[in-house]
Amino acid sequence: MRSPAKKRIFDDGSGASRRVVMPWGQTVRMCLANVKQRLGRSVLTFICIAVVVAFFSSSMVYQDFLVRLMASPDVHVQAVLERAGVFVHDVDSLARQRDQRIWLMTLSAVLCLVGITNTILMSVTERFREIGTLKCLGALDVFVVRLFLIENALIGGLASLLGAAVGCLLAVLQLGAVFEFSLLSWWFCAEGMFPGAAKSVAVGTFLTLLASIYPTYVAARMRPVDAMRSEV
Amino acid sequence: MNAKREIVRTQEVRKTYVMGDETVHALQGISLSIDAGEYISIMGPSGSGKSTFFNMIGGLDKPTSGEVYIDEVDIAQLGTYELAWLRCRKIGYIFQTFNLIPVMTALENVTLPMVFAGLDADEAREKGMSLLDLVGLGGRLLHKPAQMSGGQQQRVAIARALANDPAIILADEPTGNLDLKTGRAVIDLLTRLKAERGVTIITATHDMKMLAASDRVIWITDGQVSRIQSRGELTIQVGSIDGKEEA
Repeated sequence: MRSPAKKRIFDDGSGASRRVVMPWGQTVRMCLANVKQRLGRSVLTFICIAVVVAFFSSSMVYQDFLVRLMASPDVHVQAVLERAGVFVHDVDSLARQRDQRIWLMTLSAVLCLVGITNTILMSVTERFREIGTLKCLGALDVFVVRLFLIENALIGGLASLLGAAVGCLLAVLQLGAVFEFSLLSWWFCAEGMFPGAAKSVAVGTFLTLLASIYPTYVAARMRPVDAMRSEV
Repeated sequence: MNAKREIVRTQEVRKTYVMGDETVHALQGISLSIDAGEYISIMGPSGSGKSTFFNMIGGLDKPTSGEVYIDEVDIAQLGTYELAWLRCRKIGYIFQTFNLIPVMTALENVTLPMVFAGLDADEAREKGMSLLDLVGLGGRLLHKPAQMSGGQQQRVAIARALANDPAIILADEPTGNLDLKTGRAVIDLLTRLKAERGVTIITATHDMKMLAASDRVIWITDGQVSRIQSRGELTIQVGSIDGKEEA
C-alpha cells in the first residue's frame, strides 16, 4: 500500500503556473455582457435607483437654493420670498422641514434598498448554473464577488448620475413654480446644485453596493456542484 | 506495467448526510481505482449514491470518511484555492445541460478556463480555435450558445473541457439532452479524444450507447459498488439493446 499522499496539488511536475486569475478586462467585459443580456432586469434596477436618487437630489438641491436665497441681501429676492410666504427669520419652520425631509429620505432609502436587494437576489438565484459552471472551470469565490459588485456598481453609478441630473432639473422647476424663475441665474443654479447632486450620486451608489452585499454573498457561496442541478 | 497509471483512487469512501432527524448513508465504503486513459461509465438508479460518488471523484464534494486521490493527491487536504486550481487544470467538466456561458461566444467560452489559468489572450485564442476545430466547429467561433443546436453546444462544452489539457474529463449525462444521432456523435468524439489524447473519461449515464463505448462500467446500488463490468462482458449484452434502438 502506498503511503498517504503528502504531495501537494501544485507539485505535478508539469511546471504549470500556480495561479488562478481573472483579469480586470475580462471581468468588466463579462459584467457589461451580463447587463446587456438581462436588460429588462437591469433597467428595472436602474429605474428604481434613479427615481430614489432624483428624489434625494431634488429635495437637497431645493433646500440649498432656499437657504441661499434667504441669505441673499437683495431686496427684490427678499420681497419675492415674503410674497411666497417664506419668512426669512423663521428658523423653527425650516428645521421642521429639514427633519421631515430627512425622515422621508430615510424611508425611501430603506424601500429602495429592499427593492434592489430583491431584484439582484433574483438575478443571482437565476444564474446558479452559470455561477456553478464558472466555479467548475476554476473560478474562485472572489471572482464571483467581483463580477456582481462591478456589475451593480456600474448600474448604480449610472442610474445615480441620471437621477441626480433629473433631480436638479426638478428642483429648478419647483423653485420657479413657487417663486420666480428670475431669481435663478445660471451661476446661481450651477453653484447651488453641485453639493446636493454630488451627495445624492454618492448615496445612490453606496445604496446599490449595500443592497448587493447579501446577493453577492449568496452567489459566492454557491458550490461548483450546483452547475449540475437540473431543477431551478 | 508502467503503461498503467492510476489517476483516481478511492479508499473506503463514505458519505453521510443528515436530513432532519434522519441520517442518510449515501456512500457506504467504496474502494476502487481508475487508470489514466480509461473510459468509465458509472451507472445506478437515482438515489443509489451514483451522483454523490461521481461528484466526489470530480473534486466537487468531499467524503465524510475515507480518501479520494486524484492524480495522487488527497482532495480532502485541499483548500479552496487548491481545489479551484484542480478544477481549472486537472478536470474538464461536461454537463447534461451544456452550461455554456450564455453571454459569451463559442470561442470565449472555450478560452475562459485558459484565462483563469493565466494564459495570455493571443495564446488562448489560438488554442481555443484549434480546439473548436478539433470538435468540428471551426466555422462557428463567434456564435453565441443560443445560436447553436444542442449537439453543437455540447461540442463547444467538450472543447471547453479540454481547454487546459486536463487529465480527467468528467461528464454528467452528456447525452441526456441530445437525440440519438447527436448523442452518438458526442460519444464518438469522446472516444476519439480518449484514443488520441489519452484523456481519462468518467461519465455518469443511463445511456446504453455510452456503455458500449466504455472500458468499464461501474454499477452502484445502495451506496456500494454492486458490479464492475469490463468491455468484454458488455459487448454482447449492449449490442442487442443497441440493435433494438436502431430498429
